[in-house]
Amino acid sequence: MSTRIFQQARVVLPGNAEPESVMLRVRDGRIAEISPSLRPAEGEDVIDCRGHMLIPALCDAHVHLREPGQEDAETIESGTEAAIAGGFTRILAMPNTDPPVDTGGMVGFVQSMAKSRSRIPVSVAGCLTKGREGAKLAEIADMADQGAVMVTDCNHALQDAYVLRRALEYTRHFDMVVGVYPDTPALSAGGVMHEGTVSFRLGLPGIPAMAEEIGIERDLRVAAAVKGRMHIQNVSTAEGVASIRRWKARGVNVTAETTPHHLLFNHEDLRAYNTDFKMMPPLRTREDQEALLEGLCDGTLDMIATGHAPHTDFAKNLDFNHAPFGIIGLETALCALHDALVSPGKLSWSLLVERLALAPRKLLGLPGNAFEIGAPFEALLFDPEGKTRIDRDTLKSRSFNTPWLGETLRGAIQNVYLGDLTL
Amino acid sequence: MKTVAPRKDLLSFDDMSREEALAILDTAKPFKDLFTRSVKKVPTLRGKTVLNLFYEPSTRTRTSFEIAAKRLSADVTNFAVSTSSVVKGESILDTIDTLQAMQVDYMIVRHGASGVPEYIARHTKASVINAGDGYHAHPTQALLDAFTYREIFPDLQGKRIVVAGDILHSRVARSVFDLMHLLGVEVGTFGPATLIPPTIPDYVKVFTRFEEVLEFNPQVLYLLRLQLERQTANFFPSMREYHRVYGVTAERFRRIREMGMYIMHPGPVNRGVELVDDVMRYERSLINAQVENGIATRMAVLYHLTPEVKSRSGETEDHA
Repeated sequence: MSTRIFQQARVVLPGNAEPESVMLRVRDGRIAEISPSLRPAEGEDVIDCRGHMLIPALCDAHVHLREPGQEDAETIESGTEAAIAGGFTRILAMPNTDPPVDTGGMVGFVQSMAKSRSRIPVSVAGCLTKGREGAKLAEIADMADQGAVMVTDCNHALQDAYVLRRALEYTRHFDMVVGVYPDTPALSAGGVMHEGTVSFRLGLPGIPAMAEEIGIERDLRVAAAVKGRMHIQNVSTAEGVASIRRWKARGVNVTAETTPHHLLFNHEDLRAYNTDFKMMPPLRTREDQEALLEGLCDGTLDMIATGHAPHTDFAKNLDFNHAPFGIIGLETALCALHDALVSPGKLSWSLLVERLALAPRKLLGLPGNAFEIGAPFEALLFDPEGKTRIDRDTLKSRSFNTPWLGETLRGAIQNVYLGDLTL
Repeated sequence: MKTVAPRKDLLSFDDMSREEALAILDTAKPFKDLFTRSVKKVPTLRGKTVLNLFYEPSTRTRTSFEIAAKRLSADVTNFAVSTSSVVKGESILDTIDTLQAMQVDYMIVRHGASGVPEYIARHTKASVINAGDGYHAHPTQALLDAFTYREIFPDLQGKRIVVAGDILHSRVARSVFDLMHLLGVEVGTFGPATLIPPTIPDYVKVFTRFEEVLEFNPQVLYLLRLQLERQTANFFPSMREYHRVYGVTAERFRRIREMGMYIMHPGPVNRGVELVDDVMRYERSLINAQVENGIATRMAVLYHLTPEVKSRSGETEDHA
């Protein structure tokens, strides 16, 4: 029987807004005791966490691992190592690979690849429609049997409300969430950044906020009517947040996510045509940014997901119009949010843990890892005074497409624990 | 003439002062005077290499730059790149590395995507001149327009211009707005609401009816070329209607003439769309003068820039 004690750490406990100084005893991968003081038993490992934070390990409900098909950008192995480096012990792999994960067989393939290549468990999302074409439902029950927990067509927004309706109805008999990327392609087509003063100035085709706003409102109305279980990915607009708030108040069974970069940047940051600021949905305005933070604090937005989207240097070195959308996010999420929001007091530690660890696990149907007796011990040790340099030498991801490249962020992840393992 | 700090690239007017813009325009004048002499060349850029790097086909602008560089005695090479090389797996950076190895001093860049000249400028020691990128900027066009305007009104402070047409998709409009504003010209615009977004700079007055343009009484009415494909994207219903509501019709031309307004157009002109054919023969049409002034203005821009290319002695060469 293996046990160890974590002492002197500041710990984020459920129900407490502020971190507390307590000791944790972990036995057989589970939390056995939480107490202001614990006496180490004979031969028991004692981990001195003085000056550090001990918080539940993170979970990312939106990760593109790129394997199979684009292994030059990322693999299951490199992507999960990047996750561990960023403090994540659970991730949800998106199905827009090549070929896409749109059958039970493909779900099984990704699961078995992950078992041999990854040091953390990988949850799998399947496609909502065959080939992500938005026309015919993929075999959802088959994928559920193989363990898929979500169906989504990723950034191929559903054009057809009828398909969304049937998907939300059909999935009601399975433990399956319908993930939607809210967009109105007729309005966003051809755009490469938020439509506004900056897009005019830079001479870049714009993506209007209304493309997302209409998408969110439509999808919410469908979900309300058929009582399906829906998860909205990548919310970026103030009006989108307002729609979700309104429909949640009316009892719609919906969760929603936003990203660290939408919380921390806006379109003004995009001036030098740096394609590491090109993502879908695009960075919006300062007002949108503030509304997202407000939505995150009041629970309208349930979680933060990185949308980790690796692309090769070659692809991101194309001109702004042709470079692909998306940035990597696993290795910057915690430190960037700590640096910009937690450290200056705009976001509490307990809320960060809720949005970046607990809520996404719940979405994925995983047992909670809040620090409670009997809970699985998945945790990370964080040094708030440490520094994390983001550069090509330190990133575990195969791709380097992050707006934080070359930056040093306040805070450093010291260790990541999964059960009895130190990853 | 006030001295201004050396500049490596001309990409847009974002970082340009009024003094610097005037310095370039003032330099263009003696170059233009040169054209009436039997020998039109000066030795200023002898031994320098100028490269025309055009990712978008353009005979007019490319030729204008080519003549400008040759009149400064530079060696000029045209490097036409099809955008399909992007598809073939060659990035812009690959092309730049190749050209860098050829010791080019000046690169004239045109690209269909906004930002490419800026990107290239960051990766080369050569001076980069933006010859038009996407919808972003076309600074030498605006400079030759301002030069042409100043030939008639030497002091542009407090003068007025109205830029009419497709603002949304126009790099010319953005650069003309910026430079005219920099030079103290009051700027107005006129065109379909679909093509004049609310995101244009605050200093631009928006006119919704032609009567308002006449009331504003600009010295210059600047007509933009309308791309025919905008009609298919529903920015306006038909060319006929565009001409009737936003173009210079025969009736409007009569009033323009009465008021003595000058007409500019960056070319090529769509006859019967932006303007009726008679405008081309109008004594106050500056369209041909713009083309002619393009050469002198581009000579002035080449003269004005300082590449970072080092000489053997290790010192930055100063061509000026």
